[in-house]
Amino acid sequence: MSEDLRPEDAPAEIYDAAGNARFFADPAMERFVAVMMNLAQEVWVQEERLLALEEAKGAAPADREAKLKQFIDRVFEPVRGA
Amino acid sequence: MTPELQHAMKPESTLDELARGRFVSGIRSLILNDLAGDLRVAYDTRAEPAFRKAEGRVPQTSREAHLALRGDPAFNIYSAMRVQAQKMVWASVADSVAREGDRLAQEAAKVAGAPGDLTLDPALNIPRNVSAIDVHLMPGSYTRGGERLEAGAVYDRGLAVFSMGLMGANLDDIGLSMAKYVSLRHTDFAPKRILDTGCTIGHNTLPWKQAYPEAEVIAIDAAPGPLAYGSARAKLQGQEVAFRQMCADSLAFPDASFDLVWSSMFLHELSKKTRAKALAEAYRVLRPGGLMLHMELPPNGEMSAFDGFYLDWDSYYNQEPFYKGYRDESPPEMCARAGFAAEDYFQFVVPSIGIYGEQAIADMVANDKAEAVGQATTGRLAEGVMWFGYGAWKR
Repeated sequence: MSEDLRPEDAPAEIYDAAGNARFFADPAMERFVAVMMNLAQEVWVQEERLLALEEAKGAAPADREAKLKQFIDRVFEPVRGA
Repeated sequence: MTPELQHAMKPESTLDELARGRFVSGIRSLILNDLAGDLRVAYDTRAEPAFRKAEGRVPQTSREAHLALRGDPAFNIYSAMRVQAQKMVWASVADSVAREGDRLAQEAAKVAGAPGDLTLDPALNIPRNVSAIDVHLMPGSYTRGGERLEAGAVYDRGLAVFSMGLMGANLDDIGLSMAKYVSLRHTDFAPKRILDTGCTIGHNTLPWKQAYPEAEVIAIDAAPGPLAYGSARAKLQGQEVAFRQMCADSLAFPDASFDLVWSSMFLHELSKKTRAKALAEAYRVLRPGGLMLHMELPPNGEMSAFDGFYLDWDSYYNQEPFYKGYRDESPPEMCARAGFAAEDYFQFVVPSIGIYGEQAIADMVANDKAEAVGQATTGRLAEGVMWFGYGAWKR
């Protein structure tokens, strides 16, 4: 983000040299969080593939929204109450 | 949940794409409901007491709440995950938009002759707040793909994922809720000519045509691609709306030529100077007896330091540079500076029609009760959202 298009009262230290927001002392943590979320997403994609295969073999249709909530709550439980 | 769009340009997604979109909606729900709750607890138990100890008083502004929270573990994880989830919103629809470019063009071509003009202005100097930053972290912003349908499709499909179903299946909950409120609250008001400024793809324009089907409805925006997409989107839904490429701060319309000038989630994307000009232009083009109405985020002046910063987060971390400056302004003072009489200003909070139902709005009108700004519900895209609106009548 060019500096003239940043909020006028934004503390300089909240962005890195490229203008990206940063939240952790170690910039690798930002990338690590992104990787974990991408990885969880791809695991969920595989889960939906399995559900589709099971349904094709005669299983009752799964409630994907409910299963997804359980999945997310389980995977991301460690970040709760930080 | 990600709603299924209600028109022929909706994505023909693969199962993997559907799963990716569903995941993003789900993780956003975790962040905006559960982690937001954790953030509040962290503020109350750590950030605010630490600020009070250092300063001898509690944080009094959004900025002070921001500084108090910076570095707190709950703030760090909430923010880092929210930024990544926002990037995942757009990434989750990128493949389908790239793959379906030809089909989208074909769908648009089928209705090209339907009522509703599209007028682009290649000579328009597109403002930098639209073209020079990736607004909402949306790659290429509103100008991605130039006049092609690409930016509109990314926005439409991305907003469906982003909204988690809270903006309705047609992403028009804001427009539907506001139009219902106005039509019930002001039964004698029958606008013949309506202008939507900063309409993007016209998703919150269409409810006004539905509420006032006899009215001529014109929707403007600075970015051409979303307008082209919005025009086709409206025609595919049988709605006659004229889309024109134009900036809200320089309207190519005569004085006193509209009965209603409307915008939704638009003014916060403008600089203070441009916003003032846009409001003055709205006043100029309104006829006497006309109404200017804006759906926006509630002002910081009506919120606590924490709740104000909760909304201002987007200004710092979601490429919305004017968001906080806008929310620091006073809506009645902005309207007064535009030319409206102070006594003609009004504001209200309307329940989301999709969540609470039409009857909730009817009850609100019947009781002549304008909801106060709810600290944790107004403007916050989470469970129980309500919409803030304000405007003024022109004498």
